Amino acid sequence: MFKKILLRAAKQAIFYLVLLFLWYFLFALKIWPAYIFPAPLMVWKALIQGFRTHIFINAILISLFRVSIGFGISILFGAVLGILMKRSKIIDETFGRFVMGMQTLPSISWFPLAILWFGLSEMTIIFIAVMGSLFSITMSVYSGLKHIPSIYIQIARNMGSRRLKMLWLVLIPAAAPSLIVGLKQGWSFAWRSLIAGELLFVSLGLGYLLMMGRELNDISQIIAVLFIIILISIAVDRIVFGIMESRMKKRWGFE
Amino acid sequence: MQVLDINIKSKIYNSGKNSLKVLENICLEIREGEFVCIAGPSGCGKTTFLNIIAGLDFDYSGEVLYKGVPITGCSQERIMIFQELGLFPWLNVQSNVEFGLRTKGVPRGERERIALKYLEMVNLVKFKDYFIHNLSGGMKQRVALARALAMEPQVLLMDEPFAALDAQTRDMLHLELQKIWIAAKKTIIFVTHNVREAVCLGDRVLVFSSVPAHVKASFKIELMRPRQIENEGLIEKVRPILTELSFEIGKVNV
Repeated sequence: MFKKILLRAAKQAIFYLVLLFLWYFLFALKIWPAYIFPAPLMVWKALIQGFRTHIFINAILISLFRVSIGFGISILFGAVLGILMKRSKIIDETFGRFVMGMQTLPSISWFPLAILWFGLSEMTIIFIAVMGSLFSITMSVYSGLKHIPSIYIQIARNMGSRRLKMLWLVLIPAAAPSLIVGLKQGWSFAWRSLIAGELLFVSLGLGYLLMMGRELNDISQIIAVLFIIILISIAVDRIVFGIMESRMKKRWGFE
Repeated sequence: MQVLDINIKSKIYNSGKNSLKVLENICLEIREGEFVCIAGPSGCGKTTFLNIIAGLDFDYSGEVLYKGVPITGCSQERIMIFQELGLFPWLNVQSNVEFGLRTKGVPRGERERIALKYLEMVNLVKFKDYFIHNLSGGMKQRVALARALAMEPQVLLMDEPFAALDAQTRDMLHLELQKIWIAAKKTIIFVTHNVREAVCLGDRVLVFSSVPAHVKASFKIELMRPRQIENEGLIEKVRPILTELSFEIGKVNV
């Protein structure tokens, strides 16, 4: 078991080393000028520089703050909407179909509308993050509740569970496998939408740093920020949802 | 004293154009502390019957009285053990047993005490921290039994709970169930399609007819307890019941 993990880590390390070498190799061939294709070391320096001047930390904090609010709103409304859809057939048949349609809309296409409604403000960016994740969370709550084996509900009813206790002690844990998948997906949608939204005006988040890199012709900064965006995305996915998922899988006996 | 006074005129399932009458004219009285077994061909509405008594189903005509009061919903005094068990995979063994107590609002320490008491009764204290998927079939069965007993119900409704078990485990659980019943003096209604099991466990065995089910015959079983399936006196009692039942099963197969 441990040996397997070690072996996999070794394979991955070698892969990234090769990638890094290729990158450097391409740079060394001097096909493109350095301001179009920087060397790994230049990106590394940009990273150090960004953190030393607190620009990156500030941008990370701002973006994380926004995504937390947006994701939080999505969870809250997604839960309410998903429960309503499950409880009422007419809401399911009308609003449910509507949600499925809305899910296909790329969240950034809300941007013009959001600007007209909220102006160039925090609200606009958060709105886009919400629109990115709300419907996928709604659908996962709905389908999670829908696929709970009725035996659990019957047993809980027989033992006297009603309303809040039913929700808290039975429905949510029974729907957990689907909920965790939905939250994970919702998080990644919220994060992507947020970065896209931040690209579009002076917003001080990570997306804005990308645009600033473009305006200053600082390709190293752009690539450094891209790394940060990927790392945060993976870190939250692995740490927060990874822990939830592995706990759930252990309990349920999946895998 | 009468615990249950059952008078079901009919129970009909409607699905689209088809309707199926599953129960018809079931009149029964069940005494406190009685162990009643119901045997009948599969698909004869035995589960529906238990659901009605549990208060999970009231879409029928007739009336069922529990201690003289019509049943209008579930009660923590009448607990059902389902054929599929439905143990909660997100809870460990002890938390499963504590589940009903949590809905009752029993404080944590008290909950733990009661859960351990019943886990001890079914010999599962050692496994209290296990998750459900790590248990064998017989162990799961015992957890379901402990979970139901922890509610300290008056009436225990059991729907073919041992059907999926191997013979040895089943024999062992038969003994355990009788011991628990003698100690705790619950009223038990036990549904099975296995006549030997019914005779082994019941004070009274009711044979349900095929659909629409009614009580076709009733047999009193007066044998010493605890009984085991291979007891000599038992075989004798089984034969006439089997005759009644096989006639009903024949009707289904025709």
